[in-house]
Amino acid sequence: MRSSSSLKQEFLKKWIMGLQRCTSSNKNMSILERKKAIKLSADLAMAAARNGRTSWSRAVIANAARESDKRLLAEKILQGQESEMLLKKVSNMSAVIRNRRIIRSKKILKRSRRRTTSEPQKVLASSIAKRLVQKRTHILKSLVPGGEFMDEISLIEETLDYIAYLRAQVDVMRCIATSPHLMALNSE
Amino acid sequence: MNRALPEMLHCLNGPATSTDMTVLERQRARMKWQPQEQQGYFGGSDQFAGLFLEPGQVGSFQGLLGGESVLGEVLTRSVKPDPGLENGWPELLNMGFTEFDMNCAISRTSSCPPTVAPPPPEAKGKVSPPAEKVSSAVGRESFKKRKADKLQNTKVVAEDDSKDKRSKVCAEEGESKITEQTSNKDNNRETSADTSKENSKASEAQKPDYIHVRARRGQATDSHSLAERVRREKISERMKYLQDLVPGCNKITGKAGMLDEIINYVQSLQRQVEFLSMKLAAVNPRLDFNIEDLFAKELLLYQQMFPACSTGFPTIGMSSEMTNPAYLQFNPAQQVVACCGLDMGMNNTADMGLRRTISTPASIPETYLDSSCFTQLQPSSTWDADVQNLFNLEFHQGRSISFPSQPFTGSIEASNLKMEL
Repeated sequence: MRSSSSLKQEFLKKWIMGLQRCTSSNKNMSILERKKAIKLSADLAMAAARNGRTSWSRAVIANAARESDKRLLAEKILQGQESEMLLKKVSNMSAVIRNRRIIRSKKILKRSRRRTTSEPQKVLASSIAKRLVQKRTHILKSLVPGGEFMDEISLIEETLDYIAYLRAQVDVMRCIATSPHLMALNSE
Repeated sequence: MNRALPEMLHCLNGPATSTDMTVLERQRARMKWQPQEQQGYFGGSDQFAGLFLEPGQVGSFQGLLGGESVLGEVLTRSVKPDPGLENGWPELLNMGFTEFDMNCAISRTSSCPPTVAPPPPEAKGKVSPPAEKVSSAVGRESFKKRKADKLQNTKVVAEDDSKDKRSKVCAEEGESKITEQTSNKDNNRETSADTSKENSKASEAQKPDYIHVRARRGQATDSHSLAERVRREKISERMKYLQDLVPGCNKITGKAGMLDEIINYVQSLQRQVEFLSMKLAAVNPRLDFNIEDLFAKELLLYQQMFPACSTGFPTIGMSSEMTNPAYLQFNPAQQVVACCGLDMGMNNTADMGLRRTISTPASIPETYLDSSCFTQLQPSSTWDADVQNLFNLEFHQGRSISFPSQPFTGSIEASNLKMEL
C-alpha cells in the first residue's frame, strides 16, 4: 500500500480536476447540486486514485455510471483514457454481477429449502451468534460499495482498503474545508 | 533431502528392484516438497566427500568394513549441518541396514557407481544395477582401496541425479495438498513421526501458495471442514488488520462486536464525507475551486502542518523573514504555471496536462529561488554538503506536499535544484 500522503495528493489532484470539469460546464448550481457534484467528484476521484484495482472503486464508478443523472457528471469528471478504460471495465463487471446475482439467489433458495426440511428448528446460542454476525455482515455489505457481491473474505479486504481511502478523503476534505484562507476568502 | 540420502543407500542395498522403484518414487515425491533442504544437503555432501576423502577416515572405514557403528557414525557426522534431522538418521540407518547383511550392503554400495555413472540420470537406470551386483561381492577385498573414492562417486552421482530429478519435478509443481498428504503418509511409514513433521513444516515454508492445515485432536478432517477452517482463519486474520485500522476496536472481542464497530466507523466516515461536501458547497458559492485559491490554501496548510521546514531554514543560517518572502515569491509563479498546465490539461487529455504540469514549473521557480535566497546563501561559508542536502530534502518535501497537483515533479525538481546549487 502506498503511503497516505501520496494517496492524498493523488486524490486531491483528481478531485480538483474533476471539479474543474464540473464547474466549467455548469456555472449556476443550487447548493444541493453543488453538494452532489462535490461529493460525486470526491468519490470518483477516490475511486480513480485506486485505479480500478479494487472492487469497491469499480463499484463506485459503476454506480455513478448507472444512474442517468450522475452519468453525465461522471463522464465529465472522469475524462481521458483511463476513465474510459475504467468505465469499460466497470460495464463488464456489472454484467458479470448481474449474472452472478441470479446464480447466487438460486443457490440461496436451494440451501434454505434444505435447511427447513432436514433440520428441526432448534435455537442454539451458536446459531444466534451466527445470525448476529450475518446481520452485521449484511449491513457492512450494504455500506461498502459493491459489497453485495463479495464473499466474506474479500469483503473484509475491501473494507480495509475502503476505510483507508475514506480516511484520506475525509482528511483532505477537512483540510480544505477548514482552511482559514478559504474562510477568509468567502467572508470577504 | 538428507533423508533421501539413506534412502538412496537403502535403495541401492535393496534386494528387489521392484521395491526399490517404489522407494525411488517416494523419494522423488519427497524431493518435490523440500528443495530448500537441498542447500543443507549439498553443504552436507561436501562434508561427506571430505569425510570420505580423509585418509584417516578411509582407513578406519576400510578396517571396520561391515561395522555398522562406524558407517553410522560417519554418516551421521556428515549430516550434522542439518540439525533438525539428526534424530531421524540413525533410525533410518538402522532401517536400511539391519535388514541386510552389513558387509554385503556396503560392498554393493561401493561397487555400483561404475555402472550407475555412465547411464543418463534416470531413476530407473540406476535402480537395476545393485541386484546384479550382489554377485560381485566376491571381489570385495580388491575394491577396498578404491572404496572411498567410489563411495564419494555414488554421492556425487546421487547428487546429480537428484538435481536432474528436481528440475524435472519442478515442472510439475503446483500439485494439490493431497499428494503432499500421501507423501507424508509414505514418510510416516518410512521415518519416525517427528521427521515427518519436519518434512511437512519444510514443505509448508517452501510452498506458500497453499495453506497447510493440521487437524487437532477431535477435529474433522474431511475436505469441507478443512476448507471451512482455512476460510475462518483467513477471515479472522483480516479482522485483526481491521481491528488495527479501526480506532477503538482493539478492546472488543467477538466478531459481531467488531463488525458493529467497523460498521459504525465506515458510516461515520461516509457521513463525514457528506457533511464536508455539504460544507464545501455552502462555503463556495460558485463552486469555483480555482487553483490559485487552492494552492494558497495548500500553502497555508503546509505551513501549518510542516513547521519543520521553517525551523529548518534558520539552522542553515537564514533568517525566517527571508525564507517566507522567498516562498511567497516563488509561489505565485508556481501557481500561474500550474494553472497553465491544468488549463491545458482540460483542453487536452488529462495525461498531457499532467505532463505539462510536470515539465513547466520546474524551470521558473528556480529563477526565483536563485534570485531570492540562493544567491544570498551561496557565498556563505556554512554551506557544507550536509546542510545542502538537508536543505534540498526539506525543500523537496515542502514543495511536493504544498503542490499536490504535481506529485511527480518532486524528484525532477529536486534534481534540478541540486544542479542549480
